[in-house]
Amino acid sequence: MMETKHFVIAGIAIAVIIGLVAIFFASADPDGLESSALVLQGDKTLTGETPPDAELAEDVHDGFSYESPMPDYELPDTGIPGQVIAMLDGIGISFIIVLGVARVASGKKEAKNG
Amino acid sequence: MHIPDGFIPLLQTIIYWIIALLFIALALRWARKELSEEKVPIVAVLAAAIFAIQAFNLPVGMGTSGHLVGGALAAIILGSPYAAVFILSIVLIIQGVIFGDGGITTMGANIVNMGVIGGFVGFYAFTGFKSAIKNPYVSAGIAAWFACVIPALAASVELWIAGTFPLVGGMIAMGTYHAAIGVIEAVITAVAVYLIWHARPELDWSTMSQAEAGRVTAA
Repeated sequence: MMETKHFVIAGIAIAVIIGLVAIFFASADPDGLESSALVLQGDKTLTGETPPDAELAEDVHDGFSYESPMPDYELPDTGIPGQVIAMLDGIGISFIIVLGVARVASGKKEAKNG
Repeated sequence: MHIPDGFIPLLQTIIYWIIALLFIALALRWARKELSEEKVPIVAVLAAAIFAIQAFNLPVGMGTSGHLVGGALAAIILGSPYAAVFILSIVLIIQGVIFGDGGITTMGANIVNMGVIGGFVGFYAFTGFKSAIKNPYVSAGIAAWFACVIPALAASVELWIAGTFPLVGGMIAMGTYHAAIGVIEAVITAVAVYLIWHARPELDWSTMSQAEAGRVTAA
């Protein structure tokens, strides 16, 4: 059985590799929900390619809007290094926050080593 | 399938937030009762991996890309739909607040779809298929496909109630794209469950008797 410490290190390493590969190889096509919205607003056919100028109308209902610090998983205007920083931040923040919440919620003050 | 702000009117988003908070409370209760000390770092590393893999959009044809959601993966690995609610809720909050992926007002709906519906569909589809076809990895893959498609259909119904999508057109588009994206979800989930349960066989609750599972949890 792989020890917990090794399991965590291997898991983080895999997450970082996936995250870095994603920066260079992720598809720029819209995701399923965005594609559906483009089809329904008449800018795309169901099975056709997405036109390069197709733009998602996000303000269907007026109300709340929010500017995140790293929109689209990148530091604004910093290119590839900004995307790497954003990705590593996201992986690290996810790990630390879930670790903290899980420790507190499970009532354990400290996880066992190894 | 992260719904942005502006796709659901404010009043309706409050209802999804209330449902999400109810399930988050139940997930915290699950963590208090069921989450052993040894599993805490595993939960955290799973969250980090789900964050990374959610950011990896793979092409699925039809001018569309898709990524793993991870609800089925979390629920199957940790043996509870509440594990998916726990992990996905935190990952979705981080994605929305820091990376602008999914709205703030619509975060409740996104937690309900991907965490709650994804987790419960993934978990119970897995136990159902596992008892029928016995192979845990094939069962995990099939369960993951349903845990991608059914939350997408739920989202299309929510967007119909919101007046943003038509019902039939929305379900056809969301269903078509997520049926394709679900294949990615299925393959990655099956492989990940295989690798994780081989690295840590004691996590494989699916082949244990109740008594054995109790001993592992207590240990």
